[in-house]
Amino acid sequence: MNNSKSRCFAVARAFAVVVGALIMFSAPGVANAAESENSIVISVLDQANNNGVSEKIPVAGVKVSVTNPAGLAIGEGVTDSAGLATIPVPAKDDYVVTLDVASLPSGVTLIEGTKTVVNIVKDSFTTNSKRVTFFAGTAGESGASLFDRVAQRLVDGIRLGLIIAICSVGLSLIFGTTGLTNFAHGEMVTFGGLIAFWFNVLLGIPLLIAAPLVIALGGVLGLAMNGIIFAKLRKRGIGLISQLVVSVGLSIMLRNMYLYQFGGRTRPLDDFSLQVAKSFGPVSITMRDLTTAIISLVVLLGVATFLQRSRTGKAIRAVSDNPSLASSTGIDTQKIIRVVWFAGGALAAMGGVFRGLDEQVGFEMGSGLIFLMFAGITLGGLGSAYGALIGGFFVGLLVELASLVVPAELKNAPALLILIIVLVVRPQGILGRKQRVG
Amino acid sequence: MDIIKILENTISAFFGIDAAYFALAAIGLNIQFGYTGLLNFGQSAFMACGAYGLGMTSQYFGVGMWWGILIGLALVIILGLLVGIPTLRLRADYLAIVTIATAEIVRLVVRSVRFKEYFGGSDGINSFSSSFRDLSPFDPGAQYGVRPFQYSGYSLWTMIVGWSLVIIFSFLVYLLMKSPWGRVVKAIREDEDAVRSLGKNVYSYKMQSLIIGGVVGMFSGMIFALDRGSVQPDNYSRDVTFYVLTALVLGGVARVSGSVIGPMMFWGLYVFSDNFLRELTKDRPFEMFGIGIIQKSQVGPVNYMLIGLGLMLLMTFRPQGIFGSKEEMALDGR
Repeated sequence: MNNSKSRCFAVARAFAVVVGALIMFSAPGVANAAESENSIVISVLDQANNNGVSEKIPVAGVKVSVTNPAGLAIGEGVTDSAGLATIPVPAKDDYVVTLDVASLPSGVTLIEGTKTVVNIVKDSFTTNSKRVTFFAGTAGESGASLFDRVAQRLVDGIRLGLIIAICSVGLSLIFGTTGLTNFAHGEMVTFGGLIAFWFNVLLGIPLLIAAPLVIALGGVLGLAMNGIIFAKLRKRGIGLISQLVVSVGLSIMLRNMYLYQFGGRTRPLDDFSLQVAKSFGPVSITMRDLTTAIISLVVLLGVATFLQRSRTGKAIRAVSDNPSLASSTGIDTQKIIRVVWFAGGALAAMGGVFRGLDEQVGFEMGSGLIFLMFAGITLGGLGSAYGALIGGFFVGLLVELASLVVPAELKNAPALLILIIVLVVRPQGILGRKQRVG
Repeated sequence: MDIIKILENTISAFFGIDAAYFALAAIGLNIQFGYTGLLNFGQSAFMACGAYGLGMTSQYFGVGMWWGILIGLALVIILGLLVGIPTLRLRADYLAIVTIATAEIVRLVVRSVRFKEYFGGSDGINSFSSSFRDLSPFDPGAQYGVRPFQYSGYSLWTMIVGWSLVIIFSFLVYLLMKSPWGRVVKAIREDEDAVRSLGKNVYSYKMQSLIIGGVVGMFSGMIFALDRGSVQPDNYSRDVTFYVLTALVLGGVARVSGSVIGPMMFWGLYVFSDNFLRELTKDRPFEMFGIGIIQKSQVGPVNYMLIGLGLMLLMTFRPQGIFGSKEEMALDGR
């Protein structure tokens, strides 16, 4: 049999693809991934006072910036879930660290007497990184009323929900048409964010021009994943569980490729990164976030209309419902699957750009969302496109509203619990067809 | 390039403590995934149960270390029921999603500031292993053996305990799979409905398999925690499960030998790749045709990229691994 021969070729080809990708990526990569030696680590901690027990809770999402004493910008960052922002600096020198008070989460204020501007002198760098801590205190009831906090969380939740919905439509459609649970879908989201960073920051292309390109490239990535890997696996008759494990391997490979290329830090996009929040009654939102939310909503409505009205959309739903019946009525199933992968990749990349604008761009930005995406599509009904829209939206809303009750570091946990509860109560989800899922 | 050093490290990695704890985790995963066909993507959570069971003895309960095994068992059973009840009636991919999500919840909770007094937050828990240390017949400071098999007294002690557990559990699993119980779970993997028609309670067998596999995974977490002398939440991330899975598939699913030799080969290959790339980039970035390919800080990601690629290629071209047989590869229950 020349089976083993073709197998050898396939292995060699896979290696060639990876080596080629490494070479292709590595030109800017080596310079890029080099972490600078010196950095300032800024930590924002909330000294909440719970029944007399003082604890320090990290505050995420606070904007901080570093300038030199003359006021020239060196770098800026946003604190992560550990309340930390690492800003690389060129040398051990004098710097000024400024905290953007407006970016503090509602209800959190700096403790009286804490300065928002901290001067660092050269000699205070004992190691390569200098730590600066800002202490905040939850103002509790006096800061913002419960209504205001709920309103703000509701707005943030809608924004997150829209992003999750955009990202997970593809995941659900791919599941519906091919049966594959694609664990590498989060990496498609990351791809969008990183390519946007590459265009916008490294090549200096304005984001408004770059974004359509990024979305198209995301679609091409989807096509490539299907064409190079999953279409081949289907052709070889490899089972769905094995395909799932392959997608896990793909996810690990891609994520580390991003880490190899991009380094471990999260970084902001150039355009629209500095925004002033506008207040609308109890809630405040930046124009950028308002715009991305509106675009997301329009896109989602467009996707729904496309699925409902267009010929291709109807064919997609038909394949989702019953692939063999669809193909017996003359629908080209493989073509529909390609369309779904393209659309899924493009939407995921779009979600990645929005997420990158919302938070920052980093190699794990998509893999952090994959759980929420799974929760969303399970809630909505695996395989149902409308279900993904609705489920994703509700999961985003839930995550943000949950942060009113649970600590911010655990705000994803309720969404994952919902996932488990849905499976007990109604395994087919909100819009899924009641079928044997066992 | 110091080839002798690379080879020495590689050979010692085959028998190192990392291979031992991976082997235990893989034996557990093999019971679930290999024999019963349960796609457990949350093995790291079961490992965390073991590690935190030990750690909480000193952190929270203030009792001796040996209570840790009981606490760990209790945690494993709670976790197994929590994950199993909603999903074991459903299709395999639901179990995968829920186990991976649960493992993530576990990791978030144990590293949270809110539960720091029980689990130690992101710093984890230290100082619980003294009674295990005191049992060691070796002098902890001294070096034993000759290179490449040279270990400090304490490492030697954990290695002996770890590999003994591997041998014990391998033997138990071997016996278990020869028993009527083993035949039932293998039949569940092949055709659930057929087993159901024979009057067997499939759901209960699946649950037993999940929990037994979880208990073996628990011992893996314990050995790891004892070796490091600390419990760190980020050592139980979802990727750990995937690496264990890769090691298991490499050795051969549904084979006892595969679940032991797979992890040994996994660590041998990993340490070889890691040492080789580190030597390659020690002085300056490695270049090919004047293009920088890899530098020191990129060695880690490249290793993991290779693991991901390896898992994809294995699953596609040799899903039965090195020792498995294709007949045992009825992974697709649908």
